[in-house]
Amino acid sequence: MQHGYWIRSKPVYTSLAWQYRAQAHMVLAHGEAGRAVLRLYQQRLPEQPVSVLYLVGDEEADYTASLRALAGDCLLTFTKQEALWAAFNAALASACMGTRLYAAGNEAFLWQVSTLAASHGVLHADIMREQPASLARPVYCVHCKTITPHVTTNIAVCSGCQRHLFVRDHFSRRLGAYMGLMVDAEAPGEVPAAEEIYP
Amino acid sequence: MSHLNVIVSAIADVAEGIRHFTLVDAAGRELPGFSGGSHVVVSMRAGARTYRNAYSLLSPPSDRSNYQIAVRLQENSRGGSRFMHEQVQVGTALEIAWPVNLFAISRVGRKHILVAGGIGITPFMSQAHDLLRTGANFELHYAFRSPRHAAFVDELRRLLGPRLKCYDQSQGQLLDPAALLSHQPLGTHVYVCGPGGMVDAVLDTAARLGWPDAHVHHEEFLAPPVGEPFAIRLAQSQRVVEVGAEESMLEAMEAAGVDVPYLCRGGACGRCELEVLATDGVLEHHDHYLSEDERRAGNKIMPCVSRAKCTFIELNL
Ligand code: FES
Repeated sequence: MQHGYWIRSKPVYTSLAWQYRAQAHMVLAHGEAGRAVLRLYQQRLPEQPVSVLYLVGDEEADYTASLRALAGDCLLTFTKQEALWAAFNAALASACMGTRLYAAGNEAFLWQVSTLAASHGVLHADIMREQPASLARPVYCVHCKTITPHVTTNIAVCSGCQRHLFVRDHFSRRLGAYMGLMVDAEAPGEVPAAEEIYP
Repeated sequence: MSHLNVIVSAIADVAEGIRHFTLVDAAGRELPGFSGGSHVVVSMRAGARTYRNAYSLLSPPSDRSNYQIAVRLQENSRGGSRFMHEQVQVGTALEIAWPVNLFAISRVGRKHILVAGGIGITPFMSQAHDLLRTGANFELHYAFRSPRHAAFVDELRRLLGPRLKCYDQSQGQLLDPAALLSHQPLGTHVYVCGPGGMVDAVLDTAARLGWPDAHVHHEEFLAPPVGEPFAIRLAQSQRVVEVGAEESMLEAMEAAGVDVPYLCRGGACGRCELEVLATDGVLEHHDHYLSEDERRAGNKIMPCVSRAKCTFIELNL
């Protein structure tokens, strides 16, 4: 069982905190992780302009109302991923050095933020990231190359090829996903019971 | 450390107190390739002493037929720059170390702002060639005391056209770091080389405006300051090396035949770090490599620029 292991490729996240030396602030959050932005607003507010881009989650909690109360006109909400990425891309294109970036969401969301930002020359380390309470993992099937989102168990069925995958701790920064390997390759059909270890 | 044997093939005065040297391989071969921003350490045998100074390579990195360096005569020179100005002539043989790059251009940057003050122009000469070759988006901001002090300015104007912006202090033109850094697009990197005050102003401004550290680069090689003589005890080899008032610890150990690694000889790279086991005095750190915590712990020293006020210092070497 790899539960509780720490290996180098596993990214480490902090909780969001304003970087007061800045020219502007851009905050991105998704669904449940809207809470991280609420906590951010409990800290002393920075003097520079702030914008918050919030992607409302499907079944997850929706923090739009509480965020609106705190961020007012600085808040832009999105219900479609594509619309959020288009707005973020446009904002990056016109942003100056000194714009601090903050992102909160599941791993797939965070790495999409990083990847898009990287296309504008922003380094991974320049972005402050927070992962919400759920440890759910996107899992990359090394056999059929499908990424299955939101996996909470140590063994999961690949949404592409239906193989039973063992979810490893090996995280690919390029793919923004954990590696999943066929669990019954040696003895086909012998699949151990899955345990929920990434609630 | 392996060396290259070179011969001075041309000397020119390019600005007040700045002399330009062209170096070719002593055996007529091609010199090793290098990347923009690299430097070489030149060894100078002056009587009983050997000086070693780091100089940026100015030539286009694609041209391996020669290396070019520029040396400013330092007013309080301990000998290195004076030797280059007074002793070296066309035909003089010199020994140089292989090029090393401690000031490379970021590969992922979208735009590059180069800021030079005075002789600090030198690392940007080779970088400008590299940046032009790759078609990168960049600007060079060059501040100098007066046109007489502006080394290479004509060459740079020809090469860079509107990408070059000059600040002639004798005309009251001042480079304002805040104006320069407050409107740069995301993904920009800044590189600064020049007098300490200028480097500090750019670093402080970038930090205040919220530029992440990884986007801010500087090259500032310090000259080792003079001090009081003391002795180094080498714990492993059970030897004692005397350090003179005008010598660095590194120079003293080299003169005694002790092999100590180095890259910049200016307190910037960290390569020469040594472990301090004991001393009867206080360490005087002059590098800008060790952190505050490491200085407080007092068990590391950069012998290329730092020394101690003591009678002895014991090193794990
Ligand atoms: S040689 Fe670079 S810090 Fe000493």
